[in-house]
Amino acid sequence: MEETQITSSLSFPSWSSTSTQDQSSTAGQASITGPQPSKSSAIPPPVKSKGPSSGAGVRRMRRIIAEDAEWSVAIVPLLTELCIQHIVKNFQNNPILKQLLPEHQKKVLNQLSPDLPLAVTANLIEDENYWRRCCTQRWPVCHVDEHGGSWKRMFFELHLENLLKHFIPSTTDPEVILSLLPLCRNYVHTIRVDQFLPPVQLPPPLRGRDQSDSSSEGEMEEPATDHYQLGDLVAGLSHLEELSLVYGVKDCGMNFEWNLFLFTYRDCHSLAATVKACHTLKIFRLTRSKVDDDKARILICSLLDHAALEELDLSHNLIGDRGARAAAKLLGHSRLRVLNLANNQVRAPGAQSLAHALAHNSNLVSLNLRLNCIEDEGGQALAHALQTNKCLTTLHLGGNELSEPTATLLSQVLSINTTLTSINLSCNHIGLDGGKQLLEGMSDNKSLLEFDLRLSGIAQESEYLIGQALCANREAARQRALSPSHFMSPATAKGHENLAG
Amino acid sequence: MNPPGSLRVLEEKEKEHLATPTVGPSIHSDIPQERIQARRLRIAARLEARRREALGEYLDGKESEEDQSKSYRQKEESRLKLAKLLLCGTELVTNIQVAADIREVHRRVEEEEIKRQRLEKLENEVKTSQDKFDEITVKWEEGKQKRIPQDLWEMLNAQQVHCAGLIEDKNKLISELQQELETKHDQYVKDLKKQSGDICLLLERMEEQVKNVMKAFRQELQHIENAFEVERQELLTSNKKKWEQALQAHNAKEMEYLTHRIKKVEDHEKQLNKQRIWDCEEYNTIKIKLEQDVQILEQQLQQMKATYQLNQEKLEYNFQVLKKRDEESTVIKSQQKSKINCLHDVLNNLRSKYNKQVKQFQEENQSLTSDYKRLVTQFKEMQKAIRHFALIDDKQFREIWLMNEEEAKDLISRAFDVDRVIHTHHLGLPWTAPDFWFLKNVGPISQQQRKSATQILEEVLMEAEEEGAEEAASEPGSYLDLPKQVSAKTTRKILMLLCDESGFLIESKLLSLLLPLDKNECYLLKLDAIFSALGIENEDDLYKLVDFFLRYQAHHSAPSQERTSVASPLEKLDLQGEKEGSLVEREPQEKQPPPSPRLIHPNDVLKILEAFVTGLRKPRDFRAPVKLLKVVRDDSKDSEYWKALTTVIPATTLNLWDALYTALEKYHLVLTQRAKLLIENSSLERQNTELQQLLQQYVDSKINSELQVPPTQVFRVPTK
Repeated sequence: MEETQITSSLSFPSWSSTSTQDQSSTAGQASITGPQPSKSSAIPPPVKSKGPSSGAGVRRMRRIIAEDAEWSVAIVPLLTELCIQHIVKNFQNNPILKQLLPEHQKKVLNQLSPDLPLAVTANLIEDENYWRRCCTQRWPVCHVDEHGGSWKRMFFELHLENLLKHFIPSTTDPEVILSLLPLCRNYVHTIRVDQFLPPVQLPPPLRGRDQSDSSSEGEMEEPATDHYQLGDLVAGLSHLEELSLVYGVKDCGMNFEWNLFLFTYRDCHSLAATVKACHTLKIFRLTRSKVDDDKARILICSLLDHAALEELDLSHNLIGDRGARAAAKLLGHSRLRVLNLANNQVRAPGAQSLAHALAHNSNLVSLNLRLNCIEDEGGQALAHALQTNKCLTTLHLGGNELSEPTATLLSQVLSINTTLTSINLSCNHIGLDGGKQLLEGMSDNKSLLEFDLRLSGIAQESEYLIGQALCANREAARQRALSPSHFMSPATAKGHENLAG
Repeated sequence: MNPPGSLRVLEEKEKEHLATPTVGPSIHSDIPQERIQARRLRIAARLEARRREALGEYLDGKESEEDQSKSYRQKEESRLKLAKLLLCGTELVTNIQVAADIREVHRRVEEEEIKRQRLEKLENEVKTSQDKFDEITVKWEEGKQKRIPQDLWEMLNAQQVHCAGLIEDKNKLISELQQELETKHDQYVKDLKKQSGDICLLLERMEEQVKNVMKAFRQELQHIENAFEVERQELLTSNKKKWEQALQAHNAKEMEYLTHRIKKVEDHEKQLNKQRIWDCEEYNTIKIKLEQDVQILEQQLQQMKATYQLNQEKLEYNFQVLKKRDEESTVIKSQQKSKINCLHDVLNNLRSKYNKQVKQFQEENQSLTSDYKRLVTQFKEMQKAIRHFALIDDKQFREIWLMNEEEAKDLISRAFDVDRVIHTHHLGLPWTAPDFWFLKNVGPISQQQRKSATQILEEVLMEAEEEGAEEAASEPGSYLDLPKQVSAKTTRKILMLLCDESGFLIESKLLSLLLPLDKNECYLLKLDAIFSALGIENEDDLYKLVDFFLRYQAHHSAPSQERTSVASPLEKLDLQGEKEGSLVEREPQEKQPPPSPRLIHPNDVLKILEAFVTGLRKPRDFRAPVKLLKVVRDDSKDSEYWKALTTVIPATTLNLWDALYTALEKYHLVLTQRAKLLIENSSLERQNTELQQLLQQYVDSKINSELQVPPTQVFRVPTK
C-alpha cells in the first residue's frame, strides 16, 4: 500500500519536471496518508509525531485528536525505504543496483525514472519492467513480439532506428550514432529502417519537407547524394540478424523530388561491404530502393557464400533478367530459404535461370515472383524445375502473364510433387482449359493447402472443385498436425469422413 | 481424438461386460490389493477398447457418429464454419490486392503498347522532320548560289515558311506529348485517389472482417457453450439420478447399520452392566481378602519387629564379644608374629641344611651311578654267562631228554610190539601202529619254535655289533643257529645291502623319525619296515630270501676269476668266523665258500627282490604266523608229553589185554587138554601109519590096478 503510493507520488512529478520532483517527493514521504499533500507546511516532521506516540502506547497512537493540528498518523518509513529513495534520487550520479538484495533491487527499479541517460542504464539494468516503462513512454504503440519479446531489445532497436531515420549525412554528427554503439551492441538484433534522408543540398525554397530537416539545416552544399554509411554501425553490432532498409523518404508530400529516392553506387558498394562483413545476418531486405540490375549484381556478389543468410527480399525494385540470373547464382552458393523478387522486371530469361537453379536446390522454401513478366516460357521452365525439386513449399507467380501451357505443366507437377503447400497464380490468363487441367492435377494431390487462382479466367466450377480439394487437403494436414503419432490411414480416413459429413 | 461420449458408452459397456463374467477382483472389494487389481484391469480394458476403436472400427462409422456427443459435433461444425469464414474473409480482403495487381498488369501492358506506339510515332516524326530538315539545308545551299536578291528573299521566305512548318510540327508533337503528360498526371492523380479509395476499402473490409469474425467466433462460442451446457445438464441429471440412487442405497444401508448398531449397543450395555456387577462383587471379595491379608501382614510385621529387636540385642552382644575377641586376636597376632620370626630363623637353618644335604646326595648319586655302571657291565657279563649256561643247560637238558625219550620209546616200542602180536596173532585183528605226534618227537619239545624275522635280524645285528665290539671274544652269536649254508656275516651284508637299496619301501615319516637313532637301530627299524612291506614274517622267509639272493647270484653271474679273487678275503673272514663260532653246528658243506654278497651288484637287488616276491607269493597262506617271543622254555607241554608217553597204550587196550589174559588162561587150559589129546592122537596116528603102511602094501599090489574100481578112489587119503 505504502510502497505503491510512494511510487505513484514519485512517478507523477517525473512526468512534469525534475525541479518539482524533489519537493513533492519529500512531501510525499511525509504525508502519505494525509488527505491533501498541499498541507505540507502544517505537517510536522516524523520525529515529533513519534514522541507522544511512544509514550502513550499503541492504543492511543491510533486515535486522531481533532484539536491537534500537528497530529499525523503517518508512520516513519523504514530506513531501507529511505535508503532506496535516496539511491533512486541519485541513481544518475551513483548507480547502485547490483549490490542490493533482490527485493530492494525490485523496489529501486520500480521507482527509477525512464528518463535516465542510457549511458547509465543500458548495461546496468536488465529488468524488463523498467524497459517496458521506457518504451511505453516514448512510443504509443509497441509490438514487443516483433522484437523477440524483449522490451529492452525493443527499446534499443527502436531508438537506433529512430536515430537512423533522422540522420542527415554531413549535417548530423555521426558520433550521435556511434556513441550509442557500445550501449546497444548486445541488445540490437534487428534494424528496420524505412527511410534514409539524403544530404541537404537544395536551395531554401525547396526545403521544409521534414521537421527534423528544416530545424538543423545549414548552408552546406555538396554534390553527392549519398546516404548514411551503415558499415561502422553494423560492424559494431555483434548480434545483428535482420537488416531491412528502404532508401527513400517517407511523407514527402508535395515536396517530391526524384533526388530524394536515389540509391547511389557508393551507397550500393558500402552496403554490399557492410552486408558481407556481417556474419550473423540472417535476413536482408532492401525494398523500394530503385535497385537495378547492376546494383543487384553488386549486392548479390557480396552475398555469395554468406554463412548465415536465410532470407533475401529485393521486392519493389527494378531488377531485370541479369539481376535474376545473379539471384539464381546466389541460390547455388548459399543457404537461402526465402527469396522475394516481387514487383520487379524479371522476364522469361531471368525466370529460366532461376528455374535452372531451383531444379538442383535443396534449401529454398519460398519463392516470390509476383508482378513480374516471366510469361509462359519462364513459367514452363519453373514448372519443369518443380518436377525435380523436393524442397520448395511456397511459390507466388501472381501477375506474370502466364497462360494455358504453364497450367498444363503445373498440373503435371501437382500430381508428382508432395512438398508444395501454397501456389499463387492469380492475375494470369490461364483460361477455361487451363483451369480444367489444373483441376485434374489437383485431384491427385494431397499436400497442397493454398492455391490462389483468382482473376485468372478459369471457370467457376473448376475453381470451386479445386477449393473443395484444397479443403480436404487442409483437413488432412490438420489431422496430421493434431496427431503426429497416429497412424496415417485412420487420420486421412477420418478427414474424408468429416468432409463427407 | 476419441469422442468422450462414445468412450463413456463404451466404458459402461465394458463395465457391464466385466461385471457379468468375471467374479474375480471387484472395485467394491474390501481388500485394497483386490481393488487395485480391479482398477488395473479396468484401465487395461479401456485402453484395449480405445485401440480397437482407433484401428479398425471405422466400419461402423455412422454408428460412432451418432454416438459422438453434441458438443463434439457442435465443435466440429463451428470449426468448419469458422475456417470457411476466415478463408472467405481473407479472400475478400486480398481480392483488393489482386484487383490492384491485375490493374497494374493491364496498365503495364497498355503502357507498353502506348510506349511502343509513341516511340514509333517519334521515330516517324524524327524521320519526317529529318527529311524536311535535309530539304531545308539543301535549300540553304541553293540559296547561297542565288545572286538575285528577290529570288533570295523568296527563297528565304519559303525557307522561313518551311522552318516554321517544321517548328510547328515539333511544337505540335511537344504539345501532344505535353497533353499526354497532362492526361498522365490526371491519371496519376486518379490512380492515387483510386489507391486511397482501395486502401479505405481495404481498411473497411478488414474492419468488417474483424467484426464479422469476432461476431462469428462469439456466436460459435455461444453455440459450443450451449452444447456443452446441454450436455453437462444431461450429464448432471444422469449423475444426479445415479447419485440419488446411490444415496438412497446408502441411506438404506445407513439405516440398516444404525439399527444393527443400536442392537449392538444395547447388547453391549447389557454386557457392561453384567460386567459391572460381576466386577463389583469381585472387587468386594478381593477387598475383603486383601484386608485380611493386610491384617496378617501387620501381625507378621509386629512379629518381625519383635524378632528384629531381639536380633538387635543379640547382635549388640555379639558385637561386644567380637570386640573382645578382636583384642584377643591382636594379642595373638603379635604372638604369631614373634613366632613367625622364630620360624624364619628355623627355616634359614633348614635351608642351609638342605643345601648341605643336596651336595651330599649329589656325591652319593655320583658314587651310585658309577656303581650302577659297574653293575650294568657286570650284569652284561652275567647275561653272557647266563646265555652260555642256558646253552649248556639246554644241551644237557636235551641230552637227558633224549636219553629218557629213548628209554621210553624202547618201552613203547616193546609195548607196541606186544600189542601188535596180541592183535595179529591172538585177536586176529589188523593192527595199525598208533600215530601219535610225540612218537616222532626227538629232543626237547618246542625247541624248534620259529623266530620272527625281526628277531633274527636283531640277533644278526647284535652279533655283528658284538663282533665289532669284541672281535676276539670266543662266542660271538653262537647261540644263533643260522641256516645250513649261510654265514651270519653274509646274511648281515645282504641285509645291509637290501636296506640301502630298497629305501623306497620305507615311509618317509619313519625316515625322519629314524634320523637321531643309532646306526644299528636305524638299520633294524628300516629292515623291519622293508620286511613288513615284502611280506617276510618269520625266520624261514628270511632265510629263503638270503638263500634266494645267493642262488640268484650263482645263477646269473657266470663263474669267473673275479668271483674267487673277490671272494677270497671274504672266505677267509668266513673261515675265521667259523672258527670262532665253532660251537655252532655246521654241516661240512658250509665250509665251501659261499658266493659273496659283495658280488651282488646293488642294481640287481631290485630285480632279485621282484623275483623273490613273485616266488614267495604262492606258498604263503597256510601258515598262521606263530609269533611268540620265547626266551624262557615252556615246560608246560613237557609233563603232558611224558604223560602222553605213558598213555601210549590206551586204557581200552589194557582192558582188552586183561580180558585177553583171562581168555588166554582159559584157552591155555583148553590147549593143555588138547595137548593131551594130541599126544593120544599122535599115538593113534602112529598106529594109523603103521596100518597105512600095511594098507599101502596091499594097495600097491598089482591086483588093485586090475580092479574095476580102484580103492584109491573110494577112500580118501588123509592129508596132513
